[in-house]
Amino acid sequence: MNPALRTSASGMVAQQRLIDVIANNLANVNTTAFKRSRATFEDVLYETLQGESLVNYQSNESVAPIQVGKGTRVANVLRFHQQGTLQETGRPFDLAIEGDGFFHVQRPDGSAGFTRDGSFTISSTGALVTGAGYLVQPGVTIPPDAADVTISPNGVISVRSGDNAANPVEIGRIELVRFANPTGLESLGENLYRETVASGQPLTGQPQEAGFGRIVQGNLEGSNVEIVTEMTDMIAAQRAYEINAKAIRATDEMMQSTNDLVR
Amino acid sequence: MITFSGLLTAARTLSYYSRRQEITANNLANVNTAGFKADRLVAHALGDYASPVPVEATDLRQGALRMTGRPLDVGLEGAGFLVAESPGGERLIRGGSLKLDGTGQLITSDGLPVLGTQGSIIITGSTIDIAPDGTVTSDGHVVDRLRIVAPEQGVALLKEGAGRFVAGDTAEAPDTQIRQGQLEEANIDSIGGMVSLVEIQRAYAASVTVLRTMDGVLGSITSDVARV
Repeated sequence: MNPALRTSASGMVAQQRLIDVIANNLANVNTTAFKRSRATFEDVLYETLQGESLVNYQSNESVAPIQVGKGTRVANVLRFHQQGTLQETGRPFDLAIEGDGFFHVQRPDGSAGFTRDGSFTISSTGALVTGAGYLVQPGVTIPPDAADVTISPNGVISVRSGDNAANPVEIGRIELVRFANPTGLESLGENLYRETVASGQPLTGQPQEAGFGRIVQGNLEGSNVEIVTEMTDMIAAQRAYEINAKAIRATDEMMQSTNDLVR
Repeated sequence: MITFSGLLTAARTLSYYSRRQEITANNLANVNTAGFKADRLVAHALGDYASPVPVEATDLRQGALRMTGRPLDVGLEGAGFLVAESPGGERLIRGGSLKLDGTGQLITSDGLPVLGTQGSIIITGSTIDIAPDGTVTSDGHVVDRLRIVAPEQGVALLKEGAGRFVAGDTAEAPDTQIRQGQLEEANIDSIGGMVSLVEIQRAYAASVTVLRTMDGVLGSITSDVARV
């Protein structure tokens, strides 16, 4: 079989993968704190058909080696952890992080999850939980008679309750977690990430400390998907797909004329 | 025996064009591969050879730089390369989507350490800035400077896949500038590639016709001449 067929097929598969990633970005354009991804490609193994060779002994003329590549493959799907725009909601338990860091939550199996989606609520026992009901770490319990909850940019949670309406009381603090390499985090769905060997150990700190962002109460972070960029990438991927399909047809027609050699 | 040598020439032409088709297909498959350099196969009449010798050359011209905004995307402007350390020795790369591993070490997308003047580069701060001359700064402190090299004049570059090149002797390439947050696109002219596809296909078909005609001539010689 002509190797060019498989080379072009690898190009089509790669562009298909790029479209998959773009489609997922576009589907999540309104997902809170969604971070867009991008597929990157690399060329694959080269076959050296003929090494560097001397063609004329008198003049010491030589020709460069002939190498034929075998196509392309997806090298990585990289997540872009750029800041999304903040959207005001006015809900007291909607928190956005402006700058670096993740909220630390406890998943039902006890393991740690990390998220930038701060659309929190209060559970029946008064604990601060995520939209899916996972506990925010370190745990904070909001007293049932709390009238007004304020969360400062550095994460301090204070409440004013019925009999002490004038003086706010500090009841806890939001902590943030940072990673040496956030791109290495594994996405779990539900806007949650998990640490991996590639991301490094989580480093805990307080908002507004060096390297950590600040908390903005009453806001949520939007996705960082830019529709125009995704659309232009999609057009480029579609054209690249077509070009590879055309190359397959051209190779096929060459094979057809070889077959016509003997009638 | 002139006719037989003609058959051989036609057969060699066919294999030349199928080789070109493979190379063109590989170029087009990598149209979205950052930092990819297109290959070309041309026929050269070299030395005293009767038929042309196919010669391959990698087109090292600059690809267009595209903004991505990702701090670890690194594009190069100029003829130089970054240096990555592979188990088989140092390899040259045209920048690309770099990453950090769990210890903060700067690595290529397939995990090879990218080298600075003092060996591998480890980022411990929360920011990373790369100046056009390759100086890497994190949280205001200079970490190291990326090595930027180019192969010495006349040294052939061998491709290894994954955007890596193997080169013998290299020299510093101070004219090359690094563009952080940008990626170099493949230097493939897709219109030219499509034209090549048509051209190769037609030339191949023509050579097949030549072969068939020669076969017909040979056929008449063997059947008709013998009858005389």
